[in-house]
Amino acid sequence: MIKLENITKVFPSKNGNVTAVNNVNLHVKKGEIHGVIGYSGAGKSTLIRLVNLLEKPTSGSVSINGTELTTLSPEKLRQTRQKVGMIFQHFNLLKTATVYDNIATPLKLLGYDKQEVKKRVEKYLKIVDLSDKQNSYPSQLSGGQKQRVAIARALSQEPEILLSDEATSALDPETTNSILDLLLKINEELGITILLITHEMNVIQKICDYVYVLENGEIIEQSSAIELFTNPRKHTTKKFLDTISQRKLSVSLISQLKLNGTVTRLTFIGENTGQPLLSQVSQKFGVEPNILTANIMELKNDIVGNLVIHLVGEQEQIHASLEFLNNQGVTTEEVEGE
Amino acid sequence: MEAFIQNWLPIIGESVIETFQMVIISLFFAILIGVPLGILVVLTRPGQALANKVIYQLLNLVINVVRSIPFIILLFFILPFTKFLVGTTIGVQGVIVPLVIYTAPYIARLLETSLLEVDNGVIEAYKAMGVKTRQIIWNVMLREARPSIILGLTIATVSLIGATAMAGLVGAGGLGDLAYRFGHLRYEVDVMYATVFILIILVQGIQSLGNRLAARLKKD
Repeated sequence: MIKLENITKVFPSKNGNVTAVNNVNLHVKKGEIHGVIGYSGAGKSTLIRLVNLLEKPTSGSVSINGTELTTLSPEKLRQTRQKVGMIFQHFNLLKTATVYDNIATPLKLLGYDKQEVKKRVEKYLKIVDLSDKQNSYPSQLSGGQKQRVAIARALSQEPEILLSDEATSALDPETTNSILDLLLKINEELGITILLITHEMNVIQKICDYVYVLENGEIIEQSSAIELFTNPRKHTTKKFLDTISQRKLSVSLISQLKLNGTVTRLTFIGENTGQPLLSQVSQKFGVEPNILTANIMELKNDIVGNLVIHLVGEQEQIHASLEFLNNQGVTTEEVEGE
Repeated sequence: MEAFIQNWLPIIGESVIETFQMVIISLFFAILIGVPLGILVVLTRPGQALANKVIYQLLNLVINVVRSIPFIILLFFILPFTKFLVGTTIGVQGVIVPLVIYTAPYIARLLETSLLEVDNGVIEAYKAMGVKTRQIIWNVMLREARPSIILGLTIATVSLIGATAMAGLVGAGGLGDLAYRFGHLRYEVDVMYATVFILIILVQGIQSLGNRLAARLKKD
């Protein structure tokens, strides 16, 4: 559906060229939600603007539904853009227009007749649950409501793809969740493919099928969400994971615990695999597992459990226990101290 | 008081009409030239839809040059051009040309400022939706800038009224001319006061009208 191949974007500046996006490859399949996560300055905003050519790539190819965008005429590019909706961190609504007009204006400009415009505005305002606000102005709405209007505006063109540029970054956690639920609903009920960028790991956790970790303009890690959450490889990825779970223990605590045993992180898929395994380990190998932190993360399609345990016992027995856990499909990872 | 009104009302009335004529006609043409000029300055700016360094700097130069000349000098400086354009250099007709040339670049600048205030994100959103640049100018940029444009035009109108005061120099009459000829040259202090009073009312009226209109269009 969306395919970026060897995409590079270089911005010339006074102090030499800045490579914002470096040789990125990305492939979003129809009906999926893909997320790009990275810190500010990683090149996320540039990357998502390369998809609908708001930024022209320095090199590489962008294709949507098999159509190569970089060689299209301006007129054809405009037509292609109509099939790609976009929502933004700061909503980007007309301040001087009502909710109704904010959705109707682009439709009118794109040549839809009055009746069709009215039909669509009403339909999509209903989908985003804002039918009662159609005569309000954006300044009278909350952040979440503004984003809903922006989503309705994007949907009203009945796009196949939705690009989301930090759509929840300006919202409080509760509103963020309601917007994420709405995006999920759009994805599931309307079958719209979504590519989003974010710096919030909970966005990835909640709605993404597939994840790219972007750093300094390069994709340093990419995998399905479940794989990323159970088996993160890069340091940056782990740091992002630390932001949503109490994974992190202080180094001094870990060092202290390590004096008599090991500190290990167990990651497993599904909600109730952890607990029974630990009692089995205790019985079988005579070690004492002590749970330091535990949490369950609900991903879009799976549940990932995370336990950090302190195993006290003979070195050999500990080793055998970990092997046993591995064999049961639990990922084990020693937590580093000093 | 009654005698004053009877004596002066026709003359003051005539002056008011002349001032209105000059202001309305010049404002009309100044907008006609200034607005597209302002839009062009914004659009040819680096990074904008029609980015063109040469045209952008040329337009800036022209606007700055015209804006640096005081009206009273401009009035005489372009006499041959005025003559060429409208066939005369005196009367209301003769003063319209310098008034337009004086006001249009000012309006262009004010419009430029207003348009630059429009949130770039909204423009980007419309671009992303596949809306044409021409439509974005009308339906996003000018629309969103309306309150600010109205305030800018109010300022331009007030400064235009000021400029018409000098129109008397080419025999175009008007309130400023009345105050100068009768009030100053002939020491008719009453006329001076009356004229100034009318001018104050006029400027106040225009400013509050502009403010009110802008406030009504502004929705945030």
